[in-house]
Amino acid sequence: MSACSAHRSAHSDRGGRDGRGVWGGWDGWVVSATPAAAAVVPALQGALAAEHAAVYGYGVAGALLAGAAQVQARADWLAHQLARDTLEAMLTKLGATPVAASPAYRLPFAVSGAASARRLAAALEEGVTGAYLGVVAVDDPALRAFGAKAMQVSANRAVTWSGATVAFPGMPG
Amino acid sequence: MLSAPPAVSQQTQVLLHAVTAEQNLIVIYAEVMSEYSGLAATLAPLRAEHEAHLAQLRARVVEPPGKQVHETVTARPPITGTKSAALAQLRAAERAAVTAQMDHLAAAPASLAQLYASIAACESTHVSVLGAQIGTQ
Repeated sequence: MSACSAHRSAHSDRGGRDGRGVWGGWDGWVVSATPAAAAVVPALQGALAAEHAAVYGYGVAGALLAGAAQVQARADWLAHQLARDTLEAMLTKLGATPVAASPAYRLPFAVSGAASARRLAAALEEGVTGAYLGVVAVDDPALRAFGAKAMQVSANRAVTWSGATVAFPGMPG
Repeated sequence: MLSAPPAVSQQTQVLLHAVTAEQNLIVIYAEVMSEYSGLAATLAPLRAEHEAHLAQLRARVVEPPGKQVHETVTARPPITGTKSAALAQLRAAERAAVTAQMDHLAAAPASLAQLYASIAACESTHVSVLGAQIGTQ
């Protein structure tokens, strides 16, 4: 399940834990009820897939940047490789086979110069943030915290590249 | 005779706390922007994002008949005496807000945990933006 689909399913479940609506007394003040938590392995696989895409994408972006921006792109590229390795180790420990990188990725738009390379880097970070949002939906508190911290890192990188903050990093628009 | 309503659940208390925390942050932004109008262009987008957070958090709260979510600001700290200090005050408030959202994650239902995590990510970017702004003062 992708991070986005995990998020959509979470929001579409308005039923309560016991199958009733949300108006069963004061507990009903919380609209979100109790959707099924996401499974751990698919959530981590989604994050890993996004990290693979980021590693590829930064390779494209970095080649079109110069100076400090290229240095930054290289640092971010390396950080995504490290995150990829971490996720692969986590999945292997769980007995799962980590999803492999694709040989190539379709870029979200034409990337032909520094400006579009910066936009690509921001888009990559937004994708990674959305993928880690899926990890936040699992039941394990430690994994939730892991996903949330990763979202903060990628959201900050996105702001570095785009120059603008957004109200809900990772959430579908 | 009707009995008293049951106690508010822990989950609801956390959500209402998050609502109040956003209200408190918005008030600090408003007061800093009022005191230092030169910062308005930088701070207005950040405040607008907190208003969006507040709206989303409030949307998760259903008001049963006869009950309303309190519109209570519980902290109105005095704004410190220089632009840089005021920005540092805002930055500290944002950092504390990130910590609070992280503390809410473990016990929340999945979709609410995602909302808290997204808000925490946004607030962490505010910490960075405010830190950079302090450097320019």
